[in-house]
Amino acid sequence: MTRTRLLAAAGASALLFGTTALATPPADTIAVGLSADITTFEPANISSRDNANIARHIFGTLYNITGEGVVTPDLAENLEISEDGLHYVYTLREGLACHDGEALTAEDAAYTFNRAKNPDNKFTGNTPGFVFSSIGFESAEALDDRRVQINLARKNPIAFGLIAEVYIHCKDSYEKMSLDEASANPIGSGPYRLASWTRGSEVVLEKVANPNSPAQMERIVWRIIPEASTRSAELIAGNVDIITNVAPDQIDAVNASGTAMVQAVQGTRRMYVGFNLSQPFREMPGGEAIQDPMVRRALQYAVDVPAICKQLLNFECVRATGIVNPPNANQSLTPYPYDPAMAEKMLDEAGWPRGADGVRFAIRFQAGRGRYLNDVNVVQAIAQYLEDVGLKIELDVMEWGSVYVPLIRQRNVGPLFFLGTGGALWSPLYDMTDLARVESGTNYTHWSDPRWFDRWADIAATDDPAAQRKIIDEMLQVFYDDGPWLHLYFQPDFYGVSNRVNFVARPDEKVYLFSTGLK
Amino acid sequence: MTDSAGDGLTRLAPRRDSDLARGMKRAWRSLVAARWPVLALAILIAVVVVAIFGPAMSPLDPNRQNIMLRLAEPGAAGPRGATFWLGSDALGRDVLSRLLYGARISLLVGFAAIAVGGTIGIVAGLVSGYFGGWTDDVIMRLGDIQLAFPFILLAIMFLIVLGPGVMNLILVLGIGQWVTYARITRAQTLSLREKEFVEAARALGDGTAAIIFRTILPNIVAPLTVIASFNVASVILAEAALSFLGLGVPPSVPTWGSMLAESRDTLIANKWWLATFPGLAIVVTVLSFNILGDWLRDFLDPRLKERG
Repeated sequence: MTRTRLLAAAGASALLFGTTALATPPADTIAVGLSADITTFEPANISSRDNANIARHIFGTLYNITGEGVVTPDLAENLEISEDGLHYVYTLREGLACHDGEALTAEDAAYTFNRAKNPDNKFTGNTPGFVFSSIGFESAEALDDRRVQINLARKNPIAFGLIAEVYIHCKDSYEKMSLDEASANPIGSGPYRLASWTRGSEVVLEKVANPNSPAQMERIVWRIIPEASTRSAELIAGNVDIITNVAPDQIDAVNASGTAMVQAVQGTRRMYVGFNLSQPFREMPGGEAIQDPMVRRALQYAVDVPAICKQLLNFECVRATGIVNPPNANQSLTPYPYDPAMAEKMLDEAGWPRGADGVRFAIRFQAGRGRYLNDVNVVQAIAQYLEDVGLKIELDVMEWGSVYVPLIRQRNVGPLFFLGTGGALWSPLYDMTDLARVESGTNYTHWSDPRWFDRWADIAATDDPAAQRKIIDEMLQVFYDDGPWLHLYFQPDFYGVSNRVNFVARPDEKVYLFSTGLK
Repeated sequence: MTDSAGDGLTRLAPRRDSDLARGMKRAWRSLVAARWPVLALAILIAVVVVAIFGPAMSPLDPNRQNIMLRLAEPGAAGPRGATFWLGSDALGRDVLSRLLYGARISLLVGFAAIAVGGTIGIVAGLVSGYFGGWTDDVIMRLGDIQLAFPFILLAIMFLIVLGPGVMNLILVLGIGQWVTYARITRAQTLSLREKEFVEAARALGDGTAAIIFRTILPNIVAPLTVIASFNVASVILAEAALSFLGLGVPPSVPTWGSMLAESRDTLIANKWWLATFPGLAIVVTVLSFNILGDWLRDFLDPRLKERG
């Protein structure tokens, strides 16, 4: 080897090892690689899972619900529910403090709820868009320093669990800030505070000094790494400790690295192809066809979901039968089998025979890119299956954050669209709450079948679990037969975890690192 | 009528066939003497043939998925007795067939974008150089404004607004190139508009359009041809980059750039064939255009070669 080559090799090695050493997180820091970008720290505007995962370290909630459905106290230590189920009185723990140094009182908790409801603020996050619309939130008031009362318009059996998703924040600080300022300067009461936020790149949280804090690490660095190969390479190189959404084809490479392993968890996110049934989409090509429940049912038979799971997602799945996670689903329902001949027969009978060109009807199929596991390949495979039974698919795959998400929020995608919505295992009603009302922000399909929506009143009217279960099963039967979803699967979650940390993945995609530390 | 204006420039009179034949012979001799351009030309002819006859040559439907046969290695058995000569991709589609179809899109985008950008740029440059004054100022300042933006950023911005698709891609890449053509055309026009043969055409009563397009334009074709040959290569690369970023064409349309992008997730899993073959296709084609452009520049303007 010539001297020049030797020098070049030595230089390259020094650069390589030097870079790796510099990028490895320090012993008091844990680094996480996320696939999707963070858009806001406004607590009432947070809606995406990655965004919520970071925010939850900054904001406390009244109670916690673990991935297994176990309830644990957080800011509150006691709850009393009125006889009529319309008033919830929470008692806060003593000695709570906000990050701005002020004491956290019932007034702050009441302010949190009322601020999120204020129509002038035009918030669209999980709290107003999902929780409030589901529980019929009316108002909140401080009864004294430690007791806050939440008033609901109607009784809801899972209101307690939904209220537990609201991020409590501190009145004095938020009253001083504009909405723009609030979106970048979170003042919460959680174990961590925001140290820095470089948009599109990284978020750094630092531990709040508190002898009772459950937090193990001094700092958590959340790095935005949209590209799956880069995330895996960063994990293997030791530059991050945990990554979300490991691409199925990279699992073996991570496991063989010797520095990290993949934790596979059966997730609760419900993946589906939605049929947008609203009037503007009815007038689009294919929009009229999918109004017919028989056409929607025919298309259930056209897609080989187990093959998609096995080949594209690297796991064996049982196809979903509806909107509810398997342990709580209607157990009498069996997943639609892959039977393209049946699909073709039903489409013929529904009045959509193949034309001279072999096409029954054309339809647009929209999807976002990069949010879900192997999403672009999954939607292409679904499009192929639908074309095999005579549909002409115009596949429109869009950038996730800035193009697809706004359309989803406006319930303005379709006529066919690919989406996954987070679920839970602690109650079937939680999963069904996406469709609590026709006008719910999460009813992306604009489905309006009274056999579903009218039954919510029946559920609220009974306290008998068996009677509730019967109604739930009847509703799920309607959803299975004539619903607005082409059922796919419950997304598996693959987390890449460095050998140096003791992180254990949850089934509900919540990446909470309070108790995560070094091995 | 003579074809010489005494300054080596082409006049209005048509060339005699013997002149053309002599020119072609001289070009061929120069090409053969340079050796590498011959190879580049042969490769480009092969790519064009593949682009034209790709569908007939493809062993399989490039868009037909077969997820049960995904990520098959080169030479593995394909569906219905076929062979995946270059392997299959993450959806079980034949890489060779997609490569052949991809040539069509890559070349189409390359040539069409040059046609769009060249046409806009040449017309703008001719008008700007011939009329001068405020027309020149406006056109050139527009060009300056566009050049102030990094091209790839501008393209991403346009494609996010317009949406991906072959036509939008051609439009965006074409518009991105016009300034280069406009500046060269303007510079050439500025020097030619004062020449005697242009004065003569004016004295003979030719209109402005005739002078611009029939007298001046034919005399600036040579440098523009050289620029275009280099430009095709850079447009093909830009298409590959935008497709790699997911802003090129829809996922079902195979292009070399989008094939490269799709290989990202599997590269770490050692599925080398997904990146290697489209990567090679891009490198070889772009290199061929550059070598040929280099030769063309030397041939059409031998002074450059003499200067070294």
